[in-house]
Amino acid sequence: MTNKPIIMHIDVNSAFLSWEACYRLQQGDLLDLRTIPSIVGGNPDTRRGIVLAKSVPAKEFNIKTGESLYSALQKCPTLTIVAPRFDLYLKCSNSLIKLLEEYSPSIQRYSIDECFLDYTNMEQHFGDPLSAAHKIKERIKNELGFTVNIGISNNKLLAKMASDFQKPDAVHTLYPHEIKEKMWPLPVGDLFMVGRATKSKLHKLGIFTIKDLATADPKFLQKHLKSHGILIWNLANGIENSPVIEENSTPIKGIGNSTTIPFDVTDRKTAHLILLSLVETVSMRLRNEKACTRLVSISIRTNEFNNYSHQKKLTTPTDCTNHIFMHACQLFNEAWKKEPIRKLGVRVSELSNNNFSQVSLFDSIDTEKQKSIDKTIDELRLRYGSHTVFRASFLQSNLKAITGGVSIEEELPIISGKL
Amino acid sequence: MKVIMKNIDVIAWFEQTKGPIPLKFRIKNKDESQTIIKIDKICFQKKEKLAGNPMIIFTCQSLINNVLTKYEIRYEINTCKWYLYKI
Repeated sequence: MTNKPIIMHIDVNSAFLSWEACYRLQQGDLLDLRTIPSIVGGNPDTRRGIVLAKSVPAKEFNIKTGESLYSALQKCPTLTIVAPRFDLYLKCSNSLIKLLEEYSPSIQRYSIDECFLDYTNMEQHFGDPLSAAHKIKERIKNELGFTVNIGISNNKLLAKMASDFQKPDAVHTLYPHEIKEKMWPLPVGDLFMVGRATKSKLHKLGIFTIKDLATADPKFLQKHLKSHGILIWNLANGIENSPVIEENSTPIKGIGNSTTIPFDVTDRKTAHLILLSLVETVSMRLRNEKACTRLVSISIRTNEFNNYSHQKKLTTPTDCTNHIFMHACQLFNEAWKKEPIRKLGVRVSELSNNNFSQVSLFDSIDTEKQKSIDKTIDELRLRYGSHTVFRASFLQSNLKAITGGVSIEEELPIISGKL
Repeated sequence: MKVIMKNIDVIAWFEQTKGPIPLKFRIKNKDESQTIIKIDKICFQKKEKLAGNPMIIFTCQSLINNVLTKYEIRYEINTCKWYLYKI
C-alpha cells in the first residue's frame, strides 16, 4: 500500500453545452451541438443574456464565457443559442457521480460539473491511476455521452490544475516532480485562487508566470497581498493538503439573491415589490438553514451599469420575511438615487443559530405570529410548489412573486471558493 | 434506417425478472389514421443512459407491407414513454 494520496479531478468539458447536446442526440436530433458554433445562454428578451457555456467551434470565434449574447452574436452571426435547463444538468451530474462511485467511496462534488475522487489505495482493484482514469473517461463517454478531462496528482490543487491542461477528452498527470516542467511555465492567471484582481497586482510586482510566483519570497508576497500572498505562494509550489470531503461542509456565511429585471425600474413601488420577491427566496433559504441574520444589505445596478450597495446591522437577529423586507425597503429608500434600475439584489449575513435569540424590548409584538405564518407558507410551498401561495400585492403586477435562484437550487451543490 | 423519434402507443408485458417487453405498437400517420404494427421479433435490447436519462432500447423486426423491416423503439424510464426512434 502506498501512503501518498492519489487524487483525481474530473471536469466535464463545456458541461452545460455537452449535456444539452447529448440529450438532444438521444431525443433524435441529428445535429450535434458540439460540432457547430453554439452556446448555452439566457434569454436576450428578458435581458438575461450572457454566455454560460460554449462549444469548441464557438471558441474559435473568440466567444468567451460570461460575455453578453449581443457581442457573441456580433462575433458569429450564425451562432446557435440554446436555453439553459438546470434539471437536465442535475440529472447528468448525478449520473456522473453514480458512475464514479463505482471507483471510490470518497468523492467530493466540487460543483455541478467538477468533482474530486480519492483514488488512494484503489490500485489493487482498478489498476494504476493513469489507466484507471482512461477507463473512467472512456466509460463516461460511451455510457453517458459526454467527454471529461481528468487530472491526477497527489493533492486536490495539482489534480485540478492538471485537468485544465489540454481540453477536451484527455487525462493529464501533475505529480509534484512534474510541477517545474508542467505548471511553472503557465501564466500566473491560470493558477487556482488567482483571479483578475490578484493577477493585476502580481503583474505590477513583476510576477508573470507561476514560476515567478513560486520562486518569489513569501514574505515579500505577504507584505503586498496579506495572507492571500502566502496562500497562492503555497499553491504555486503545489503545497495543498485538504482532504476529499464527501459533502461540501463549508459553513454558509451569507445568503443572497439578485435579479436582472426585464425592464428598467423607475418607481419606488415596483422596486419594493421586486425586493419583496427576492426577500421571499432569501428568507426561505435562511429558515431552511435554520439560521437568523443580523446584517441585511441590498445592491442596485443602474441602467448605466453602475453598482452600489447599502447595508445595516439589526439590533436583534431575525429570519422573518416581513422583517427582512422592512429593512431592505428602508435601505433601498436611503440608497436609491432615483436612476433607472437594471438589477436588484438582497443579501443577508452574520448568520447565527435560530434555536434561541435575544428578545428585545423594542421587538414588534407579533414575532411569534410572523414565525408561524412563515413556517406555514414555507411548508405549503415545499409541498405544493413555490407558487401556491403568494402575496396579493403581486396580483396584476406582471412581476414574479418569487425571484432568484433556480427552481431546484437546494439540490445543487454549493460552489465554494475553497478546495 | 432513418431517425424519426415519434411518440407511439405500446402494448407491453412485464416479466418478473426482466423489464418491459413490447408486443405491438400503434403509430399515427400523417393523415391522422393509425397503423398497428405487431412486433415479430426483438433482435436485441440494451440500456443506455446518455445525458443521465436512462432508456431501454429495443431493436426489433416486423413484416410491414410484406417487407421484413428492422427498426428501433425506445422506452424512456423517467417518463414511462415509448418512442419509435428509427425505422
